[in-house]
Amino acid sequence: MSSRSKRGVTSVDLDGTVGPRAFRIVALGGIGILTASYVRVLHQDVTSVVGGTETLFAVVAAMLVAATVLAYTIRPRTAILAATVAAAVGFSYYLNAAGVELGVAISAWDALLSDAITLATGLPILRMVEAGTWALGFAPGPVFLSWYLAMRERYVWSVVPGGFALLFLVLTGNAGITVTMLGTLGAITAVAFGELAHRDGSIAQADILAIIFALMIALSLSVTVIPGGDNGGPVFIDSDGPQTLEGTIDSSPGHSGIGGQVDLSPEVRFTAESERASYWRTGVYDRFTGDEWVRTGETSEYDGSLESPPGDYETVEQEIDLETEIGTMPMAAHPLSVEGSGIGVAEVTDHGQIHPVETLLERDEYTVESAVLDPEPNELRTAGRNYPDEIQASEYRQTPEDTSSEFEDETADIVEHADNPYEKAVAIESHLRSSKDYSLDVEKPSGNVAEDFLLEMDEGYCVYFATAMTQMLRSEDVPARYVTGYAEGQQVDDDEWVVRGLDAHAWVEVYFPGHGWVEFEPTPPGDRQDAHDDVLQDARDEGQSGIDTEQSEDIPLEEEEEEDPDGDGPDENGTEDPDENGSEDGTESEERNESNGNESGPDPDDSGGTDTESEDEESILPSISFEDAVIGLSLVVGLVAGIRRSGVGSHVSRTAHLYWHGSQDTPAADAERAYRRLEILLERTYRPRRENESVREYLATLSETDELDPRIDEVGKTYELAKYSGDISRERTDEAIELVDELARERLPVIGNSTDA
Amino acid sequence: MTNTNTTARPASDHSSPNPLPVDTVSTLSEEIHDNISRVIVGHDEAISHVVTAILGRGHVLLDDVPGVGKTMLARSIATSVDCEFSRVQFTPDLLPTDVTGVNVFNQKTREFEFRPGPVFANIVLGDEINRAPPKTQSSLLEAMEEGQVTVDGTTRQLPNPFTVIATQNAVEPNRTYDLPFAEVDRFMKKLHLGYPDPDEESEMLGRTVGQHPIDSLEAVTDLETIVRARETVANATVEAPVREYATRLAGYTREHAHIGISPRGTISLLQAAQAHAVSQGRGYVVPDDVKHVAPVVMSHRIKTTDRERDGRSVVEDALESVSVE
Repeated sequence: MSSRSKRGVTSVDLDGTVGPRAFRIVALGGIGILTASYVRVLHQDVTSVVGGTETLFAVVAAMLVAATVLAYTIRPRTAILAATVAAAVGFSYYLNAAGVELGVAISAWDALLSDAITLATGLPILRMVEAGTWALGFAPGPVFLSWYLAMRERYVWSVVPGGFALLFLVLTGNAGITVTMLGTLGAITAVAFGELAHRDGSIAQADILAIIFALMIALSLSVTVIPGGDNGGPVFIDSDGPQTLEGTIDSSPGHSGIGGQVDLSPEVRFTAESERASYWRTGVYDRFTGDEWVRTGETSEYDGSLESPPGDYETVEQEIDLETEIGTMPMAAHPLSVEGSGIGVAEVTDHGQIHPVETLLERDEYTVESAVLDPEPNELRTAGRNYPDEIQASEYRQTPEDTSSEFEDETADIVEHADNPYEKAVAIESHLRSSKDYSLDVEKPSGNVAEDFLLEMDEGYCVYFATAMTQMLRSEDVPARYVTGYAEGQQVDDDEWVVRGLDAHAWVEVYFPGHGWVEFEPTPPGDRQDAHDDVLQDARDEGQSGIDTEQSEDIPLEEEEEEDPDGDGPDENGTEDPDENGSEDGTESEERNESNGNESGPDPDDSGGTDTESEDEESILPSISFEDAVIGLSLVVGLVAGIRRSGVGSHVSRTAHLYWHGSQDTPAADAERAYRRLEILLERTYRPRRENESVREYLATLSETDELDPRIDEVGKTYELAKYSGDISRERTDEAIELVDELARERLPVIGNSTDA
Repeated sequence: MTNTNTTARPASDHSSPNPLPVDTVSTLSEEIHDNISRVIVGHDEAISHVVTAILGRGHVLLDDVPGVGKTMLARSIATSVDCEFSRVQFTPDLLPTDVTGVNVFNQKTREFEFRPGPVFANIVLGDEINRAPPKTQSSLLEAMEEGQVTVDGTTRQLPNPFTVIATQNAVEPNRTYDLPFAEVDRFMKKLHLGYPDPDEESEMLGRTVGQHPIDSLEAVTDLETIVRARETVANATVEAPVREYATRLAGYTREHAHIGISPRGTISLLQAAQAHAVSQGRGYVVPDDVKHVAPVVMSHRIKTTDRERDGRSVVEDALESVSVE
């Protein structure tokens, strides 16, 4: 078959075998992608947050080199042993770093096992205390083993360790859809092309693989596989519309997201009876990933009392009555003891916050005794930096690895004149309050939120203020943490506050030796109150139910109390007690439950806003740019392969060819082309010429079934002359082209008039 | 491969004769064919194969049961051409010198002089060639391939044209010697006549009553015309696509049989195709010519290990699966 034949090209190429070397390279690339997928998860989700990226990459690179070198020198059994030893060493290092003695670890193997199971059932790795060390211990084994086996051309086995690693990360919820899909495709590529390499496959087979890949990608986009996984749904489905602030901050047990634009729910959440105003804390977070807050450490069962702050404190007792279902337990910092319904199943985090194990129901109530710190500024100024060990060793000074030096420089400028942690905190707080505006309508930045807020954004809401302040303090080496909960709410009586969804809030706690955690409020209070009052006023105007208790509904918003709680006191001279402008009728407090609370279900926005993950808030563009590129590319490859496979492409080109002879060539080439066109024509009317059939035989058998146009014979003869006698005149060729043009026009009259070649 | 014609051409004193026009050769082959048909009833295919074999400078092996007209076909073609014709009846006691000729001592001149054997003729009919022992059979080898005979160290040219038409019996295998594979390879075509169908046989019976038509058969052409016609055939165009097709066919047989056809076989294939093309009035070879002659040219050059498949079925498979351009 000469390559000049327009007809033969595709079929020849398709079945041509490609050297196994090419397939081998693709298979190795597949393993590479698989390895890259889980290393990327480790990097992005762990080391870029807690540090150790360089070490991680160094370890991975060293393992790749070692695997390449050892691939031909040691036997698989030795390699598996080596990988197991590497993994064992890695994890014992981790346990050591996490403060667990090896002996203890072995004797407490059941606890370790249950930890692993906990991880594998959806606990993100970042919630581990020594996440970075864990990642370093986790990576070497699978990287080494999979690359080693791939180098030895055992592609199927090489996918096992890598696949296991990726699966584990999927189960912890760290590996997102795109990464998982890439990793899986890498694995399938490795197996499939490894097989082709073993068996000398052809391009045609590679085509089929490409089509299958594209199909897999398309299908997997419409299915969510891992229920506990990070990604609640298909990548493309964008939950549009803002979430509630409350949902953003406070829905997830272990982490607190940072959203973009948020709404406020004016519904009443609870009422609190307390001797003094206070912020109602619901969550404490220590690790910052750049776009969300994560709580590390364990929870333990509440056993009746909690550790008290190291310094002086006053105790305050609050009674909280819930008006809706709620998954947290709002209470004034820092709780010492809790009593009430459902408290038997409460648990305590390492950070001293109490959480319900199950969602608390409407009309549940509990009483909390809290230790309220009210230190004098001077005391704090002289508190020094002599932090206890557990604060030193904790995540309270963690910043993401990629935090820029601009951020640190800017912070350093702001605290330039501050000599001690307290003054630094005050300086940062007042800087944020004065330089940024309050707005609920912001677009979430794509990078490090604290950084972008400080350096680029002009406005934000409490989450942004608190995040920025916490990170700024940490960059100055002051232990700080991000806390969420509710602002004090609307005061309706001397000692009673009504707290609504719109009071959801985030603020900062800073540690002072000898005192404990002291609250700071970086959000401009007046602006916040105004914005929230507007929402409530609108809701009242619309007559929305569930937004007021009987006590609160008569109170006009303008007269509401000053915002600052006592906890915020130290930096504001600690003087303000809430104004006494509440109504008197505290006796009716029982009835209000029936009157309002019962009818109102939870705000629908709440449930819609429970997903705090970044995908949903990101503007469409960045999410398209990467994932769509990958998916689009693979779809295109699949499409091209499919077109080749189905022959649509050649069909189209042949149809075009039928009508248009094309530019002139040598008489012989033209005569041949004319005949090919005739053949396409005949093929449509009768049947295609068989490979083993000569032109003469073909035309002869056709004329047996049907009277053939003499012009057809003429073209066939011209072709024979051109092809086999090597002696063809231009006139004869032109005549043949003319004849084929005529025939084409006659048989397919639709667009035939355009040809005049 | 196009100029292989010259290598196969015997070195003769006829220095490149003037080729006839293609149409003339085509008519000529028709005339010879018609002439033979006066004796042989039916077997049109076989007759045309024999005629083209002579035009294509090939030798023919007729292989069949006795009495189907092998010898009659050979005789009638020899008669149709006005040329030297000799016949050798191969028997188990035939000696090589009985074929090639022998030096005898002349008492008068007191010198050895060469008495040419029957091989010194334009058309040699080797009847029942497989009855002679291999030594005698191989005496034909040099003659067929080189167009010359060497006796007692002296090489003598055979006349031009020189064509061997051999017949062999397919029966009584225990009293025959199979032709050596190398010798079979030297025959351009191996033909089977087969029994005539009832109409033809009755027609044949009618003709043989009284005088046998072979006795009244006359020559329709002379030696010089044949030589010039052969030149025409040798000059027929074989373009690359056809050469490649022949090569692919040969390659197929080499891949799918114990021994496929040799390069000599491929040469013969194209020569036969050229002859066929010219006999059809075409000065160039098309793949159909190759296809037409392939079964008779290729089959006997193929050895299979599989009893179920003979050379012919290999060739049929090759024609089925090798692509034409």
